Formats: sequence, C-alpha cells, structure tokens
Amino acid sequence: MAISENIKSAVRKSRGTGLLLVVVAAVTLEATMLVQYFSSQRLLRQEASLRAESELRATRNQILDIVDQAEAAVHNSVWIARWCLDYPDSLAVVARRIVEENPSVMGSTFALVPGYDKNHPLFAPYVCRTDDGSLELKTLATEEYDYPSQEWFTEPLNYGIGYWSEPYIDTGGGDVLMTTYSVPVMDETGRVAAVLTADISLDWLTELVGNVRVYPNAFSVLISREGKIMVSPVAELNMQTSIQEYAPGAKDTAHFNMLADSMLAGKSGNVVLEQRRRERTYVFYAPVEKTGWSMAIVIPDSEIYGEIRRMGLLVTFLMLVGLGMLVFILTTAARNQLKYAEVNEKKERMEHELQIGHDIQMSMIPKTFPPFPERKDIDMAAVLVPAKEVGGDLYDFYIREEKLYFCIGDVSGKGVPASLVMAVTRSLFRTVSSHETSPARIVTLINESMSDMNDNNMFVTFFCGVIDMHTGHMRYCNAGHNPPLIFTNKVAWLPVLPNLPLGVASGVAFQEQEVEIGYDDALFLYTDGVTEAENAAHEQFGEARMEAVLHTRRSALDQLNAMRESISAFVGDAPQSDDLTMLFIHYLNDMQPDATERHLVLHNNIKQIPQLADFIETIADEMHLDQALAMSLNLALEEAVTNVILYAYPEGSDGLVDIEAIMGRNTLRFIISDSGKAFDPTAAPEADVTLGVEDRPIGGLGIFLVRNIMDVVSYERTDGKNILSMTKRL
Amino acid sequence: MEVKINKENNVTTVGLIGRLDTPASQDVSNELEPIMADASGTIVLDCSEMSYISSSGLRIFLSLRKAAASQGGKIIVKNISDDIRQVFMMTGFLNLFEIE
Repeated sequence: MAISENIKSAVRKSRGTGLLLVVVAAVTLEATMLVQYFSSQRLLRQEASLRAESELRATRNQILDIVDQAEAAVHNSVWIARWCLDYPDSLAVVARRIVEENPSVMGSTFALVPGYDKNHPLFAPYVCRTDDGSLELKTLATEEYDYPSQEWFTEPLNYGIGYWSEPYIDTGGGDVLMTTYSVPVMDETGRVAAVLTADISLDWLTELVGNVRVYPNAFSVLISREGKIMVSPVAELNMQTSIQEYAPGAKDTAHFNMLADSMLAGKSGNVVLEQRRRERTYVFYAPVEKTGWSMAIVIPDSEIYGEIRRMGLLVTFLMLVGLGMLVFILTTAARNQLKYAEVNEKKERMEHELQIGHDIQMSMIPKTFPPFPERKDIDMAAVLVPAKEVGGDLYDFYIREEKLYFCIGDVSGKGVPASLVMAVTRSLFRTVSSHETSPARIVTLINESMSDMNDNNMFVTFFCGVIDMHTGHMRYCNAGHNPPLIFTNKVAWLPVLPNLPLGVASGVAFQEQEVEIGYDDALFLYTDGVTEAENAAHEQFGEARMEAVLHTRRSALDQLNAMRESISAFVGDAPQSDDLTMLFIHYLNDMQPDATERHLVLHNNIKQIPQLADFIETIADEMHLDQALAMSLNLALEEAVTNVILYAYPEGSDGLVDIEAIMGRNTLRFIISDSGKAFDPTAAPEADVTLGVEDRPIGGLGIFLVRNIMDVVSYERTDGKNILSMTKRL
Repeated sequence: MEVKINKENNVTTVGLIGRLDTPASQDVSNELEPIMADASGTIVLDCSEMSYISSSGLRIFLSLRKAAASQGGKIIVKNISDDIRQVFMMTGFLNLFEIE
C-alpha cells in the first residue's frame, strides 16, 4: 500500500506552498488593515479637530454676541453719562436706560469716584431686573459693600478702559452667575469721574457651553481669565475651583499644566492628555476675546476612535476567520490531492491488474481459428467479448478420442468475481471431461465441486455437449443455459430440459439428452449478451435479429463475424452492458449413416482370418484403393481382430467379432466390437521399435501397427461391449 | 502358405510363398522349428513370393534373428516387396536384418 515517494514529496511540496500562501495572505491582510486603520485614525483625528475647532469658534461667537451687546449698551450710554456727571440724581436714569434697553443686561450701576461730588462722597445708584421683570433701584453706596474697592470699579480705573470682571455669584439677586462690564467715565476735563457698568447673567453660558457636545461623551469647559472654572460637567467644580487648583490632581500633570498655561495666556491649540494606558484625551481650546475666558472641548480618544477600533476588531476577527478558512481549505485540498493521487495510483494498478486478468482469462479459452486445421470434418469458431476487462462468460472445446467436448457458460454477475468463477468452471470442465464422456456426468461433477465451495451464491448457466465425430451422435446436458440453435434442413431451437444452473445446489441429477447431427448440420451456442445487447434506446438485439443473421450459410468464423457486425450496427455507441459469447460448430463429417456400410461377423477362431482379407479386398476394390493401402488396412484390421479372437473370450468358449466398415467420402472407418472381457488396446504401452535384437520383445507389435497405420483409434466400452473404432483418412 | 526349405552347404534357404498372416504363422512357426534349433549357419529368407505379413509373421522373423544371434548364425532377408518393406520400416525391422 506504499504510496510512491514522488507523490509524497509532491504533496509535501504543495503543503509547503500552502503554508507560504497562508503566511503571505496573513501578512498582506494585516498590512492592509494596519494602513487602513492608521489612515482612518488620522482622518478621524482630523475630523475631530475640525469639529472641535468649529464648535469652539461657534460657541465663542455666540458668547461674543452677548458680550458685544453688553459692551455696546455701556459704550452707547457713556456720552450721556458724561453729561449727567454734574447731576447725580440723574445717574440712576442712565443705569435704568441701559437695563431697560438691553434684555441681556440684568443690572447696571453708575458709580461715582469717591470724592468726585462733594455732596456725595460715595454715590452709586444700581438698577436691576427683578424676577417679575420690573426694575428696581438700589444703591451700592453702602458701608458693607464698599464699592470703591470692588474689582469692577478698580480695574477699569486702573486700565482706563472697559473691563470684564471675573464671573461671580450675585448673592444680592438670587445666586445668579454674573459678570460685569465696566468702563471709566471721564468728565469734560478728562478726569476720571465714574464707572458705568452692565451686569450680564451667565446662566445662558452654562447652558450654551454645557450643550456643546462634539461627541456623546465629549464635554466642554469654560474658564475665566483668572483660571476659575465657570462651566464644566462637574457641578461641584463650577465657580468653586480654578484650573490651577485642579491641575495637581489631574492625570498627566505636565501636559495639563501646559494646557492651563496656554489657556490662561489666551492661546488656542490642542493638547493630548494621557489618562491611563492606551487611553487618551484630546483637548481643543480657544480664547473668548474681550472677556479673557478660555474654552476647551475635551474628547476622550475612545470617542474619536471607538468606531474604528470596533471596525478594527471586526476586521481582525474576519481576517482570522478568513485565514482559518484558508488553512482549512488548503489542508483539505492537500488531503484531497493526496487521496486523489492514492486513488489514481490504485486505479492504475487495478487497471493494470485487470488487463493481466483479461489476458489470463483470454489465454484460458481456445482462440485459434480454425482450431483443427487438419480436420475436414468440422469447422468451428468462437468469440468471447467481455463487457469489462474481465468477464464471466466462458466457452471451451477440444477433441479427445474423436469426440468433440464443448461447453458454453455464463456466470451470474460481472467483473472480477464472475471472472474467478469463470476460471474455476473452465478448469473443472477440462479436468472432469478428461476422464468422463457423458455430458450429464461432466455437468454433475462440476456442479458438485462448485456447490461445495460456492459461498457467494454465484451460479453458472452452462451447456455441455459431446459430439462423436464419427457418427455425429451428440449427447448434451443443459444446466439452465439458453438453448442453442441447431441448423439442419431448417433452423430450430435445440430442445433442452429445465435443469438447474451450476452451483445452485448439490446433489442435483442433471438430465442428459441426445441428438443426431448430420453432415453439414451446425450448432450455434450463445450467451444472453447477444440477444440482450442494447442500443441507446434500450431496445434489445433479440432472437429474431440473431436468427436473421444466421439464415445465411457461412463459414463458422464468417458467421460469428457477421453476427458481431450486426450487433455493433444495432447497438451503435451504447456501451456494451454484458459479456457476449458465441460458439459455432459446423459438422462436416461426410461419413454418415447413409454412407455405404459393410459387415463381417467372425467367430473367435483364428482360422477365419483369411475372410478378413477378402472383406478388405472387396472394400478396397469398391473404393478403388491402391494395393499398398489395402495391405496396410488389412494388416491393421487383422491385428485388431486377432487380438479379440485370441484374448477376448475364455479359451474354448464361442464368441463373435463384429467388424463394420463405413465407407465415407473422405474416410474409411472400421468398428470392431465384441462381447468379451473389457480390454482397451489403446491403453497398451507403445512398443519401442528402436531396440536391438537382444532387447526386443517378441510381442507387442500388433497394436503398434494399428496405431501407425490408422489415423484415429478410439476405444469405448458400452453396453458390455468393447468397441474399437479405427479410422483412416483417404 | 507354402514353405520351401533348401539346405546347401552351410546355407539354409527358406522360401516363403503366399500370405504370412496369423493362422499361417502358426504353421510356419512349426515348420521352421528345426532351423531355429540349429541356427549357427547362414539362413536366407526368400520373400520374393511373400505377399503379406502380419505381426505374427514378424514374430517368426524376430525369433529366427534372436536364435541366430545366440548361436552365431546369420539371417539374410531377400527380395521383399515394397509393401512389406514399408512394414519393416515401420517396425524398425530394417535395422535388425541384413536385407538383400
């Protein structure tokens, strides 16, 4: 079962190629995925940056809108305020006007620099919007408040320009986050006289900034100029903690400090904060001009890359699945290839063995035609065409002692099993028929042997015949085979008894039949491969077509060739479905019962031998035989008859010797029969005629002469008679 | 079957006339017994008139030949016909006898 080494190495090589293929595919896929992953990451980062920056810009613009309104409200009132400096009672009017005319302004004060008005060392009327929308006038010039020390008052005076205060919680008007814009007001002499303010609520700011959501988990932070956290998602921090205070607790403090410094310096940009391993936060920040605030948008990188990471995982998973499948396919392919190679080799070996089987099978059957070229009394041909390399059909024939033993058979089934049974059957036929002359005995003995060992329930339909070549007397036994056709003056089926096929059961008594075959009669034997040959339309060749072919008289070989041609023409391209076997026997022995016969009966008295000489002389004359032939025929006949006269009967008893001469067209036959004791002269040992005088036995020459003079000598013991048949071809 | 025996000096000439078939052989065998008993000389078997010989005839020839061989005699076969020569050839007798 060893598979040849080159196949193994080819498969190993293909396995190596497969492995390489997997590695290349894996690397290619991985590289593609990485390129895609990183370029996607870059694009996403760019997109995040764009989105953050645009949000920052938009938010800043919205803040500045309101800031500008407040600034404008104040600046637009400065010139009036300047006029009112001399009339402190009118200051409240200015403040009221600012609040009235600007819905975003919650309150306004017009606070005099202490000492500017002698009558009012401190003077700061304050108008603010109450919860019900009406305006209320208060004064900030109280001792507790001490407005001149407030940031909104000192800073614009210090800088001499408008100033946005740090945001603060206005405790006076209901815990509202406020910021105040204040500008110095100069009198006509250019002296700083007062500060005019507008308070704006920053509640909207919390909402505005808090609602900036670039990504679901991103958030925004707004810090004041001083770093105070104005808006953040963590409520406890808002207005309580500054970014500077928060920094030491932040992760990645170094970068956080950089971020804080940049924001406090009013710069814009972005910073990456390392949170934990493999987790970062992107912070985009930009200043809100005028107010000194800075806004930041904080985006965890999982927000930016979450999708692509999920995609990456999916792609990796798919890639692994793909590679797994590739490995599986390659492994399977390699295995299939190996299997295929094995199967192929097995098939080739089997085909080779089948071819040998075919040759052996064909060598078991006689295939040389004409099989008996020296004989004029028979013309025979046979053909066996197996459907596959080997088949279960058989035929065989041979002539032994002037009897033609022949058989045809069909093993049930096809192929190798059938061919083995065929070989066994043919061997049994040869073995059994070598010592049996009765077809029924031959068939019975073959059946016993086959039934004994037939474990596979295979059977053989079998026809066995024995034709006496001299008389044309045929004995036959049919074991379930198709009856042969017999050609006399007409074509007819040979009558057959319904015997069982061979191998079905042991102990079967097979019946023998007989028929006389005359000169120019013929037998056609076949297997059902002939009649059941099918064409493409599944029509069968049939008996009618078969008989039609046989209608024309031809030589045996031509007859079978004609049949094969007819079958081929009928079947066409359809594959041969069954083994096809034919046997044609054309009996041409002219020495027939109607031939001239001469009889001589002698007593067992040696003195009667001269009568034999006269008998031969008469025949020789009648047949116009020459003298030498007549003498040798006389010699052979005398030797055979003398043998009977001297030895067949007990001494002194009377016995007869019957001599029959049959004068055929080409042959002369003598049949010598007696009722004496059984004796087969043909069984005597051959005399050695090369010995010298001393060694040479006196006797033994009689049967030697018979054998040498006659062409065919055969002996048979039938019905208590010795029958010696001697034939001379003329 | 007729047998003519003629003794002259040390040469015995046996003339066989007719068919030497099986029944004849029995008679001839008896007639030739004396010659067989004293076969030290030369025996000439004249077959010029012998038309047929069977295996029993051949036995007589062989018996004579054996007797001569054992007694230092000599057998000469003369004038055999072509047909009988065929039989001699077939049986290997041509090699056993001196044939003239």
